[in-house]
Amino acid sequence: MELIAFYILAAIVTVSAVAVIAAKNPVHSVLWLITAFFTSAGLLVLIGAEFLAMLLVVVYVGAVAVLFLFVVMMLDVDFVELKQGTLGYWPFAALVGVAFAAEIALVTFARSAAGDEINAKPGAATNAEAIGQVMYTEYLLLFQMSGIILLVAMIGAIVLTLRHKPHVKRQNIAKQTARTRKDAIRRIDVESGKGL
Amino acid sequence: MDITVNHFLAVSAILFTVGVVGIFVNRKNIIVILMAIELILLSVNINLVAFSVFSGTIVGQIFAMLVLTVAAAEAAVGLAILVVFFRNRGDIAVESIDLMKG
Amino acid sequence: MTEIERFALDYLPVILFLGLGVILSLLFIIGAAILAPSNPDPEKNSAYECGFNAFDDARMKFDVRFYLVAILFIIFDLEVAFLFPWAVSLGTIGVFGFWSMVVFLGVLTVGFIYEWRRGALEWE
Repeated sequence: MELIAFYILAAIVTVSAVAVIAAKNPVHSVLWLITAFFTSAGLLVLIGAEFLAMLLVVVYVGAVAVLFLFVVMMLDVDFVELKQGTLGYWPFAALVGVAFAAEIALVTFARSAAGDEINAKPGAATNAEAIGQVMYTEYLLLFQMSGIILLVAMIGAIVLTLRHKPHVKRQNIAKQTARTRKDAIRRIDVESGKGL
Repeated sequence: MDITVNHFLAVSAILFTVGVVGIFVNRKNIIVILMAIELILLSVNINLVAFSVFSGTIVGQIFAMLVLTVAAAEAAVGLAILVVFFRNRGDIAVESIDLMKG
Repeated sequence: MTEIERFALDYLPVILFLGLGVILSLLFIIGAAILAPSNPDPEKNSAYECGFNAFDDARMKFDVRFYLVAILFIIFDLEVAFLFPWAVSLGTIGVFGFWSMVVFLGVLTVGFIYEWRRGALEWE
């Protein structure tokens, strides 16, 4: 039963991964990428890594894929033109792919000839709890490092993309509400028969 | 028969290879190259989590979270660079990014 | 109870939501296909009276601001992702774990203050 589910999910992942790199329209690529992420989250649920599965859906499907979609739509590029002439790359790409697959298969099967299989689950109530018990204490440095990576990414993205348009009028609400009668009105005695 | 770690290794090996092929096939379109890199990172994550679960230690999953963080940061900064490049040059063809070539 | 039954019971809400989503979306598609009147005619797609044909592609450029907001969303999404395991295991990791998360949040708050001061969140 589990094995059937695994094979179905694995087939979907493989097909959608191939579709990501073969789709003509990058928007379709992004949608296939979302399918691949979602199905891999299903794969992780199958072996009990529930928290990571949730993260895949929340972070990848919810944020990274949306970012890709925004950029594909933001850049006004003729993607059909970009796709032209890429057919010539296929033989070389296939060569590299076959070489990679062969190497990985070699290593995998050389190792798994013994056929050993350890099937223990971490001893905590839930998957998220098991992660939390070591992440913030034993792996403190890695944890803080990821915080700094996020900080750098945030500042980098702002520095790179933020451009303020000059001469834009902004509403400053604090200034607006702090304005009193004294700032706004000036009384002048005007002599009759004369202008200002 | 149960799911073994080899099943997961096979899936992630396929994903990795597809990602590598994708980089070569879409040499002109940098957005799809970035997506192929995301695929590769996904395969790495699957690998880490599979090893973590089947060997009974949680470290692999913690490392997968860090890979996730780095992947998100990479996507954010990479796409920001892409946006700036498009703003300056008007296209994102990989071939035209050769100003640094001597 | 077998392993699979327990698994299915744990994920019952998720399965229900998935099933409901699939059924509902199929229902809308099939319902539209059956119920909607369909007499295609080339005239229906042509420009009406003094209207004109499209000059250009329907693609239009997005404002970069959307992208910036999406990036900031990613960063804080990950921050929340790190908060989940912390919240459920706070009892065992103690004071040290608590302060390690406070430092993490402090680092990201620095970034938040930076983007606030730069005006990255304003929409002009």
